[in-house]
Amino acid sequence: MARARSKFRKIFWLSALLVVLVAVVAAGMYVLYLDRLVVKQFEGRRWTLPAQVYAAPLELYVGLPLTVSDLEHELQRLQYRRVDRLEHPGTYHLQGMRIDIALRPARFADETRPASILSVGASDRGIEALRDSDGKDVAIARLEPLLIGSIFPIHGEDRIVVTPQDVPPMLPAALTTVEDRKFYTHHGVDPTAIMRALWENVRAGQIEQGGSTLTQQLVKSYFLDPRRTLTRKIREAIMAVSLDSHFSKADLMNAYINEIFLGQDGDRAIHGFGLASQFYFGKPLSELDLHEIALLVAVVRGPSYYDPRRHPDRVRQRRDLILKLMAERGIVKPDEALAAARKPLGVTTRASGAYYPAYLDFVRRTLRRDYHDQDLTEAGLRIYTSLEPRAQDNAERALERELARLDKAKKYPNDHLEGAVVVTSPQSGDVIAIVGSRNVGYDGFNRALDARRAMGSLVKPFIYLTAIETGRYNAATVVQDAPVAIRLANGTVWKPENFTRQTYGPIPVVHALAESLNLATVGVGMDVGLPKITETLGRFGLERPPAQVPAMLLGAIDVTPLEVAQLYNGLANGGFRTPLRAVRAVISADGKPLKAFPLEVHQVAAPEAVYQVDRMMEEVMEKGTGRAAHAVLPPNIVVAGKSGTSSDYHDDWFAGFSGSHLAVVWVGYDRNLSTGLTGSSGALPVWSRLMASLGTTSWDAPMPESLVETWIDYWTGQRVEKGCSADAVPIVVPVGTELPVKPGCSSNPVQSIVERAGEWMRDLMH
Amino acid sequence: MRFIAPLAALAVATSLLSACSIFREPEAPARPPPPTRAPVPAPPSAAQPQPGGTPPTAQPVVPEPPQRAPQKQFKLSPATAALVSQARTQARSGNYEPAAGTLERALRIEPENPLLWIELGQVRLSEGNAGQADSMGRKALAQATGDPQAQASAWRLIADSLRALNRNQEAAEADRKAGSLSPR
Repeated sequence: MARARSKFRKIFWLSALLVVLVAVVAAGMYVLYLDRLVVKQFEGRRWTLPAQVYAAPLELYVGLPLTVSDLEHELQRLQYRRVDRLEHPGTYHLQGMRIDIALRPARFADETRPASILSVGASDRGIEALRDSDGKDVAIARLEPLLIGSIFPIHGEDRIVVTPQDVPPMLPAALTTVEDRKFYTHHGVDPTAIMRALWENVRAGQIEQGGSTLTQQLVKSYFLDPRRTLTRKIREAIMAVSLDSHFSKADLMNAYINEIFLGQDGDRAIHGFGLASQFYFGKPLSELDLHEIALLVAVVRGPSYYDPRRHPDRVRQRRDLILKLMAERGIVKPDEALAAARKPLGVTTRASGAYYPAYLDFVRRTLRRDYHDQDLTEAGLRIYTSLEPRAQDNAERALERELARLDKAKKYPNDHLEGAVVVTSPQSGDVIAIVGSRNVGYDGFNRALDARRAMGSLVKPFIYLTAIETGRYNAATVVQDAPVAIRLANGTVWKPENFTRQTYGPIPVVHALAESLNLATVGVGMDVGLPKITETLGRFGLERPPAQVPAMLLGAIDVTPLEVAQLYNGLANGGFRTPLRAVRAVISADGKPLKAFPLEVHQVAAPEAVYQVDRMMEEVMEKGTGRAAHAVLPPNIVVAGKSGTSSDYHDDWFAGFSGSHLAVVWVGYDRNLSTGLTGSSGALPVWSRLMASLGTTSWDAPMPESLVETWIDYWTGQRVEKGCSADAVPIVVPVGTELPVKPGCSSNPVQSIVERAGEWMRDLMH
Repeated sequence: MRFIAPLAALAVATSLLSACSIFREPEAPARPPPPTRAPVPAPPSAAQPQPGGTPPTAQPVVPEPPQRAPQKQFKLSPATAALVSQARTQARSGNYEPAAGTLERALRIEPENPLLWIELGQVRLSEGNAGQADSMGRKALAQATGDPQAQASAWRLIADSLRALNRNQEAAEADRKAGSLSPR
């Protein structure tokens, strides 16, 4: 019996031992598994960097028409701070007509520039002197490019990764003070803090205080799991201890600073203090002052509850509490804390934040042709674009303001007018601004890229260009604006009408284009032939050939605003097609150029033919459907353009250019309703307001030597002397072109009475 | 009854005047006859002389002396000159892509300056992109109106590009044009 009992006892103890062993091994393996998991995550995260997207840097040089206040505005856009004496990079000193700038270190697509001092002297006309810190003349210098966003993964985590050198020392100090006092001494978990938290929670009757160390918070952020269970807490604790044993406190602190969730912006989750600093203050983390650092630390506890934009009072209270704690712990002097607590939050409004979703959308689409999503969201690429923040802001404002005005007289109570704008620099093909909606900050349907609408009369310049290319037409050629009836392939008869439902009889080409006469254009188009016109559109960059029906001549061609910009860019660029581009260069995380999108030009039309059309488009602005623009534009500026209205007023377009800018504006309803507006009344006001705000230069292309300028009568096409009457318009024709001369309209100002009576009658008739 | 007389007078005048306006040219012995209207599609054009003789009043439009673009000479501003010299240094050491990038910076400042287009075309030619070099030359040419020196340089770039494309006959023609504008 004793033997049996002892045997039983032995078996009992052995199996117990076995169970314990198995449990220990299992627990060990689980710990090992968690260890591997968290280490892998930690290592992996170091390299998961969304691509950062930059605007075009502002180039400064003598002669640039930028006033002192313009420059100051640009510096403020980059969150440079005005100071009495230059301190650290990111500050400037303004004295009279001179601005001294402590430039930040910057990485451009082609070079890295250290922090430096630049002195700019300017007058009302523009920049007159540029000097470095030794007083030596500088030929050209640039401000750093504005960060306009990043390409983050589908799950929405966006971040700007900072290195320890970028982190102001006050930040780790504040974090440990508030969140984890024993961070530098504990082993990943802090039992006393947990006990304290437990006690607080028991006292409060609910979970209020975390007691988590920074390391535990880091782990929690790695494995997003909202459940607050005990097992998860244990898991987190094991992982925190594991991380603590593998990595230095400095590494962990840096990871925390880059990882932690600090705000939500639509689909975009703001992670890390680097991005949070840009998101809330619009400037780099390294430049934050004490009160700003304290604010970000306040947000850590609950980015939604302590949202500085939505709950400024609540977050201010916590910020000041943190400042007080920092003073108590001797991290800052009490008077510094007091001074900081007196400062306003200093958070930028959303509107001034540089977030341009429609433009970023175009950038993303450009890059998806060459890169996998993962390269863009994880590889830390730096993407340099052509976006000009000033032009972009102006385009957004022009669309918002004019649509708000037009909506006051709206026809549909439940529909808001929508719009899109594309702005380019014609000669470089740079797309400098894109607005995809009147809700400019909303990352939704991008009308500039995706709204395919009938181009209407925007097609007309290409019809007349094709006509001029045949050698049978010029601006003075008299064409018939008379009723047209064309039998279509399906047996029906197409009878287009003029906008006014009138006919204008024999009329010179320049008049037909300027007044956008449909019947005259259809006559010319049918004479020239649809295939030739299609071919012209193709040369200028239209990718899908339009249906070969006569209605094509009145713009029954569905295009996006961006496609219109490509087509008109060729007109603005003297017959050279330049592929429009938003991205200039892609640079790898370690600074190697990966891909350039170089400037390309392709001659697609003779400069002579395009010049003749462009000069007629100048008359659109002088006498025709675009003439209202001059009331808004700076005096004496020369621009060329064309209005477009699709049938039944569904789409209002205006496309036009100056010497330095091309802008395309579309206005319409998403549901494709009639707007009751025309290109001239709907889109032109947006275009004019935008162009007036760009500081643009006159269109001033050199006239090809084989052409000659002359004046004709706007109604008869007969040659007249300049100033002969108000109806004299300048045109250009090939040298030697024979034009009928208007009798009696010589330099002699005395006209016969009968002639003047005839003109009077004609005015009555039109 | 009282306003019938003025009305009749107006009607007569109207018909008279509108008759004039139909022809757009009243009969006047001292003046040449009215121009004939060419119906679409037969516009008047210098390239294609009108059948049946030119209308008596038609005159060829030729430039008057002051209308010719005056001779000019394109120059680089200090800013673009600095960029061009930087680009040349880059190109000399075979860094064509950075050189082109630097020239694009210059072109954003002075897009109308043909010298910069020629410079960029030369970089393209050096890196073996003769097609773009030719296009840049033509772009420069279109901008160089009035500056024979710049026009000649543009033609030389075009000639070199065409030679690289084995279009030797066109290249010789381009060279000839360059020579006639500005002897090397």
